[in-house]
Amino acid sequence: MEAHIVCCHECDELSTIPRPLRPGRYKCPNCGHTLFRHRPGMIEKLYAMSVAALILFLVTNYFPFLSFEVFGNSTDANFTTAVQYLYEEQDYLLAVALLMTTVVIPFAQIFLLLLLLGPLYHGRVPYYAPEMMKVLEAITPWAMLDVFLVGVLVSIVKLVKMGTIIPGTSLWAFASLILILAYAQSIYDPHPIWEKIEEGQNEGRVKRYVERDA
Amino acid sequence: MRAIDRNLGSCPVCHQLVHFPKRDPEHVAAYCPRCGSEVFPRKRSSLEYTLALTLASIVFYIPANLLPMMHVHTFAGTQSDTIMSGVIYFLETGSYLIGFVIFVASIFVPVLKMLILLYLVHSVRTGKSRFPKERQRLYLLTEIIGRWSMVDVFVVSIMIALVHFGGLSSIEAGTGAVFFLLVVIVTMLAAMAFDPRLIWDPTKEHHAH
Ligand SMILES: [Zn+2]
Ligand SMILES: [Zn+2]
Repeated sequence: MEAHIVCCHECDELSTIPRPLRPGRYKCPNCGHTLFRHRPGMIEKLYAMSVAALILFLVTNYFPFLSFEVFGNSTDANFTTAVQYLYEEQDYLLAVALLMTTVVIPFAQIFLLLLLLGPLYHGRVPYYAPEMMKVLEAITPWAMLDVFLVGVLVSIVKLVKMGTIIPGTSLWAFASLILILAYAQSIYDPHPIWEKIEEGQNEGRVKRYVERDA
Repeated sequence: MRAIDRNLGSCPVCHQLVHFPKRDPEHVAAYCPRCGSEVFPRKRSSLEYTLALTLASIVFYIPANLLPMMHVHTFAGTQSDTIMSGVIYFLETGSYLIGFVIFVASIFVPVLKMLILLYLVHSVRTGKSRFPKERQRLYLLTEIIGRWSMVDVFVVSIMIALVHFGGLSSIEAGTGAVFFLLVVIVTMLAAMAFDPRLIWDPTKEHHAH
């Protein structure tokens, strides 16, 4: 493959990308939007980040998150305590939204990345890799851990005047998790993964899609 | 050269280039050979969906602001907070930065997003061809900022988890929080429904022939 035609998702402009690729960002000649980023070693780095993220995610959900003390009374909250209280108060929509955006979807994201990148790192492509990538793509906008962190900071400022806030182990793990995820997000580019999937499909090792007529 | 002018399109999921079967761009769909997704030259009914969802978000935004986000129960009674009263509380108590963050995330960002989406739909409908790059930037901005409006919903949840002293003091979510959640979800869906390629189409159409 010497040249490769890419279509810009923002403006539909076609551009020809000469091969071999050079490391860095490829921009759309018409609108300047990033077409893709070529970063040798992305899979290795991303794999390492998702292992770290999984550990931090489990720590975040297992250990105490925050404690609040007013006049000798104290409450201890875990990462998901709010979900439980909202559920008990029958605020089902809020409970589900909170659970999805801060627990289920971020976990699914990390878990899918591990399932994909583990084998890729060892030179194999999982049979259901295309399905996994599709799910990953669909859920990513709904993972809101970074927004939740800002919510935590605002709440601390709000409550600090009324009593004492005691940060738990999980809060530090959570803050580190956000840093790791932000870094992973900044290096993530789906194109090399899709290219590996295509190679796997050509060799018959990965699920293929028969071309159907519309 | 646009992909559509060469009867090509790119897969919305994996960005694979695909050929459309027929020459009639209104009624073609192709299937991506790599991931099996359906590919259309442009997102289907993009403007209608974007407009409908944006209008829905405006409808939800009114009760989100008027109804309380949370009820604070203490031995002295119950106090209800709306978004605006929360912002005013922070400003009055001197927490200007936090007041500003809440104002931007809960009031400024949703309104800005709705206005941008309405403007983009209008500009595409009227075939405006000027400032495509600037309008594209506005669109990318709505995609990035949309989720940050969830901050206030999260603040309410965390307050509920931490202020939980039985009969002494507790916090309950208000109906405003539910509407606010709907505003965030619906505006995010509205931004996803919009097809930014429509912004560029009028600027490129005359090159096609
Ligand atoms: Zn472009
Ligand atoms: Zn595809």
